[in-house]
Amino acid sequence: MDDQRERITEYTRKCADSFLQETRMEEPGPRMTLDNLSMSYGDFRALEDIMLEIPRERITAIIGPSGCGKSSLLRCLNRMNDIIPGCRVTGEVRLDGENIYDPGYDVIRLRRTVGMVFQKPNPFPKTVYENVAYGPRLAGVKDKGELNGVVEESLKKAALWEEVKGKLLGPAMNLSGGQQQRLCIARVLAVEPEVILLDEPCSALDPVATQRVEDLLAELKERYTMVIVTHNMQQAARVSDFTAFVMIENQGEPGEVVEFGETNHIFTNPADERTERYITGRFG
Amino acid sequence: MKPKTADRLATIAFWLLGGITVGVLLFIILQIFGRGILTALNPRFLLGKPEAMKEGGGVLPMIVSTLYLTGLTLAISLPVSLGAAVFLSEYAREGRLTNAIRFCVDSLASLPSIVFGLFGMTLFVIYFGWVYSLIAGAFTCAILNLPTLMRSSEESLRSVPGTYREASLSLGATKWTTVRQVVLPSATPGILAGTMLTIGRIIGESAAIVYTAGLFVRNIPTSPMDTAAPLAGYIWYAQTEALIPDFRRVVDGGAALLLLLVLLVNFAARRIGRYYQRKKMAGGADG
Repeated sequence: MDDQRERITEYTRKCADSFLQETRMEEPGPRMTLDNLSMSYGDFRALEDIMLEIPRERITAIIGPSGCGKSSLLRCLNRMNDIIPGCRVTGEVRLDGENIYDPGYDVIRLRRTVGMVFQKPNPFPKTVYENVAYGPRLAGVKDKGELNGVVEESLKKAALWEEVKGKLLGPAMNLSGGQQQRLCIARVLAVEPEVILLDEPCSALDPVATQRVEDLLAELKERYTMVIVTHNMQQAARVSDFTAFVMIENQGEPGEVVEFGETNHIFTNPADERTERYITGRFG
Repeated sequence: MKPKTADRLATIAFWLLGGITVGVLLFIILQIFGRGILTALNPRFLLGKPEAMKEGGGVLPMIVSTLYLTGLTLAISLPVSLGAAVFLSEYAREGRLTNAIRFCVDSLASLPSIVFGLFGMTLFVIYFGWVYSLIAGAFTCAILNLPTLMRSSEESLRSVPGTYREASLSLGATKWTTVRQVVLPSATPGILAGTMLTIGRIIGESAAIVYTAGLFVRNIPTSPMDTAAPLAGYIWYAQTEALIPDFRRVVDGGAALLLLLVLLVNFAARRIGRYYQRKKMAGGADG
């Protein structure tokens, strides 16, 4: 019996794999490509020679021990590191083939294409409505009807509409932590990005709120390319299609990508011994 | 001494010291109001013109001078100090320049106000030829209040969480948009509180204005170029130099009025702060 079941599972997985491979054949290349990316804060080298491909409309998880530079890596993708004094980036990050670190590249456009959700929910001290309308207003949308439409649609996409439709004009700060984080996601969606970066989006949330955010990510995967940094391996295993494992060899050395591949591969059959040790909880 | 006895003594001592602070303030307020509040609230005093040699003069031009001077001073110092604060907290990278600016500002803040008064007289009144005028007084007061106003604004801006700035920038806002739409609105209560304290200081300022704005006028000043007589300076003048026979009444009434004004401003400051706190929570709907 068991033997038979195993064979069936094996067969199903093979079918799924070949299907995945076929669909991937039709897709254009990766959405974002990191090519020899290095980053330093002053004299401290935080990341070195990162090579990574972020696939389209999939969730890519970046996992690794604290302080390995995974958040720094994420912030390289929408140039949020630019605002940190003393931060220097070399190498290339290509978004649809264009290097976002080219001197002529429009950072404003980049950040509208590559949105970001932060570790701690950070709604503006404004109303729920104004939080979501902030991005569209920046883009020059003035028409009240259009704004209302964008706000409603974004909140619906973020699975928050039913909970807040009665208090759109109430302060965003009065929402619960989980609602605030989904509001932040709605705020990003309102800008109509193509890529969404999530920096440990659930680390400040309770398990129920975490579950809702994870469900939301699964829905959004249809339309958006997502990169999620998490130190929660179960979360990476649950939500992501691809996983990159980042770590530092010794204290003070730069972080590097040890292994990158399909999530189920990384978690069931890691190629690198260090990945295995991390995943099985023997360090970090 | 037993620990228990020491504890009891300490408790008594701290109650006593706290009581002294409150007591001194209450004593002054009661003294001033007790002597002058009836005069201060008398319509003939409040709305009358001052007399130079006779009894029964009022202080209306002085009240107007004080309010006028306060408004003009803020109109000059608020934009400058706010701009400098935004520069220091949002734009400047920490370094020699910011250190130099802070050093200058702190030095400016520690100068006695009579120095500003004499400086204002030399520069504005004599060199620019503005004579004793509201505008000369306002510029002097503006310079005097620049450091505190700037530092309090800078503190308010710095207390705005960096996560707001990050959120705004990550949505594709420019730095200036972020400052205008997110940072300044969030810092407004703090900036207002600092402004209110400054207003209190301008109302009570005498050394900086007696040689710049003027000491005595009979008519209500209208143009910024008019000579004025802000209340605080006039009280000093009435007490020491004027030839008014009933100067005691004028001084007591003026002092009570001045105290009343400052208390009103402080009260308003608290109300405005609370109002903004509520409005902030409800979200500013400014596009």
